[in-house]
Amino acid sequence: MVAQFLGLKLRLLGNLFRRSPWQVFGMVVGLLYGLGAAFACVVGLVALRLADVELARSIVVVAGSLIVLGFLVVPLVFGADDTIDPRKFSLLGIPNGRLAAGLAAAAFIGVPALVLMIIAAAQVVTWSRSGPAAAFAVVSAVLLVVTGILGARVTTTVATLLLATRRAREATGLIALVVLSALSPLIAAMVTVDWQKQGLAVLHSIADVAAWTPLGAVWAAPALAAAGEMGPATGALAIAVGFVVLLWLAWRGLIAVMLVSPERVSRTRAYTGLGWFARLPATPAGAIAARSLSYWGRDPRYRSALVIVPIVPAVMIGALTIAGVPLHLLVLLPVPVMCFFLAWSTVHNDVAYDNTAVWLHVAANTDGRADRLGRVVPPLALGIIVIAVGTPLSAWAFGSADVVPSILGVSLCTLLVGLGLSSVISAGFPYPAVHPGDSPFAQPQSSAGAASWVQGLSLLGVLAVTAPTVFLAILGIAEGGGWHIAALLVGTATGIAALWGGIWLGGLVFDKRGPELLAFTAKY
Amino acid sequence: MDFVQTAESILAKFDVLIEKLEADAAKDKLAIQAAERAAKAAAAAAAEAASAKPDVSVKTKTASAGQDGAEHVLQVRGLAKKFGTTTAVAGIDLDVRAGTIFGIVGPNGAGKTTTLSMVTGLLRPDAGTVIVHGADVWQDPAAAKRQMGVLPDRLRLFDRLTGSQLLFYAGVLRGLPADTVRERIGQLSSSFGLDEALARLVADYSAGMTKKLSLAAALIHSPRMLVLDEPFESVDPVSAANIIEILRKYVAAGGTVVLSSHSMDLIERVCDSVAIIVEGAVLASGTVKKVRGSGTLEDKFVKLAGGRTSVEGMEWLHSFSD
Repeated sequence: MVAQFLGLKLRLLGNLFRRSPWQVFGMVVGLLYGLGAAFACVVGLVALRLADVELARSIVVVAGSLIVLGFLVVPLVFGADDTIDPRKFSLLGIPNGRLAAGLAAAAFIGVPALVLMIIAAAQVVTWSRSGPAAAFAVVSAVLLVVTGILGARVTTTVATLLLATRRAREATGLIALVVLSALSPLIAAMVTVDWQKQGLAVLHSIADVAAWTPLGAVWAAPALAAAGEMGPATGALAIAVGFVVLLWLAWRGLIAVMLVSPERVSRTRAYTGLGWFARLPATPAGAIAARSLSYWGRDPRYRSALVIVPIVPAVMIGALTIAGVPLHLLVLLPVPVMCFFLAWSTVHNDVAYDNTAVWLHVAANTDGRADRLGRVVPPLALGIIVIAVGTPLSAWAFGSADVVPSILGVSLCTLLVGLGLSSVISAGFPYPAVHPGDSPFAQPQSSAGAASWVQGLSLLGVLAVTAPTVFLAILGIAEGGGWHIAALLVGTATGIAALWGGIWLGGLVFDKRGPELLAFTAKY
Repeated sequence: MDFVQTAESILAKFDVLIEKLEADAAKDKLAIQAAERAAKAAAAAAAEAASAKPDVSVKTKTASAGQDGAEHVLQVRGLAKKFGTTTAVAGIDLDVRAGTIFGIVGPNGAGKTTTLSMVTGLLRPDAGTVIVHGADVWQDPAAAKRQMGVLPDRLRLFDRLTGSQLLFYAGVLRGLPADTVRERIGQLSSSFGLDEALARLVADYSAGMTKKLSLAAALIHSPRMLVLDEPFESVDPVSAANIIEILRKYVAAGGTVVLSSHSMDLIERVCDSVAIIVEGAVLASGTVKKVRGSGTLEDKFVKLAGGRTSVEGMEWLHSFSD
């Protein structure tokens, strides 16, 4: 039975290579990435062989706990694609214990397991300082791999069990984003620690705690043995073994539950009326704008892009402050940066976001310009709100009302140029996007190559077209006077021209390539 | 032996049911034929009127007339499509008369969906022409697509919209004014049994509900021709009967329906003409009567599609493993 499951997993892995070249490329990148991370860990662990026991312990325990935590949490947050979902075997009538064993064994085949095995083996090198320490390290290595892989299976299964509904899946993506942004103060606190003076003390105290948690115990056992503390080492090992046993019991229990629980049915919500459709003109462009607005409000893929918009300038300001750029200049950045992200983040691949639903536009022979114009409306409206609210705030923080025309000019320019360019790019160069209903983080692997050059090129394009306006604004800040007004005029003019031209050209491309765009979305 | 008896009684019930359905169909056929005669007379009158006034004749002239005088609303010539090295559609010709229901049947992977996608302008063909009411779909898409209502198979909908929003969207994209769309949404939803569902997101619909909504969206601009890919798949029998009734009335009023289906029974019952497509080529085409010959359509279809595979060497299935 176990052999059959292993064979199945190997076959599934092998079949991945029979997909499109882009997907194979993405997988190879993933594999190299994993092996690269493993290699870095190996180098570190081997180097620690020569380090002082106390230092090596702290580093290994803290880093190791993070690795195990990653194995537990990543599938929960990112919603791992479970190719061997226990439910798929429910009709075969395999006894529960054997199914659990088979599926668990199959989980040990794959890139994450390979990476973990390499790290576990390298950890043995770190502690090969004495016979007992090496023996503990070997046992720990086995426990470590089992903890990571079985833990990942358990959390993946919990995720599929709890997050079976569309709404729940969408919610987790957003929760993850909020958690990530909530973590930024913690990161800031970590940055403010004077690592040169207190770093080691902080590290040791974290390690002291982590060593007695299920995450760190497995790493701490050989370290304690190396320090000659056999009693505590045995204790840590016992914790690690206990955790594995718990995981195994949880895994068996989960499988038993999974086999008899159908996919969850979501409670549906009723909406009244036509929403945006009632408020916008009943023309193709108006309807497409209403549809886009509804999507920006309802679809987590758009909402996550929206959440990012205020985070990016915050992070930028943080980083540049540390780099020593004066704050009164930095306050000029957020409005243009937010405009840029609004105009660019999803719009430049909007057709791929529709996926095959775009057939409706093709079948109705929708005018390409109406299509382009409608899609641009939500970011345009949001951008104008950001500019209206942000410009006075920025000028106030800067300390002079003179910069208002410059901020307006640069912001309008980035917004409109970004939208204009995105209108052409999304019709001309779509690349695979997250499918409707998937987690916002489930970027298709195949996108790696095509996505990066399209993104890079369109980014460069926006920068090039806005450069004159930015230059005038900088002159204005340096020398004052009429340069600010010039920035406003040039920025508005280039922006309007770029948006008009982009919609016109993008519309032309959409008209010509409608069926090809549909074929593209159907392929991924 | 219980089993056999139950099976027999079920079969008997089926026979009664089928008889009833056939009687219904015959009645409907009579009505349709009457309507057709009326339509033909009207067409003839229109042609006369048109010859008298040349400026009005443009529309009718461009559509060519069939042998029997009725107008061919859809003409497909030499339509072909390859995906890589596999030929999906290998030069298909179709003629569909106005005011009929035309069925396309074929085994899985025969190229039905590919054909219908090319007919509706969703997939660019490698070769061939598609003329819808005188307009070439691939040369003059604006005119051709306006005449068509489309229900594609296996393509997504904008499922983050509610049912009524999606219908509104479809109507407005087709250029209808808001008032008309609202009015039609109300009527469509009650005749398709969608009233309860219109306020919910399409993403939360069942497969059958989604199909009915798509069909309503295809009808909303009252097109001259409907192209429906598997319109009855996963639709319950009551809804299917409703839909068939709607389609029959539409056809009686001069509309044309081209549909594909796996269900021979349904095609035989609903369609006037049929084309059997196997491996991307039309193997038989014409009125249902002509195509099926003496047997049933299913027999003919199985014969053309390569015959039934012989069921031998499966004796182990007759002794159960426990």
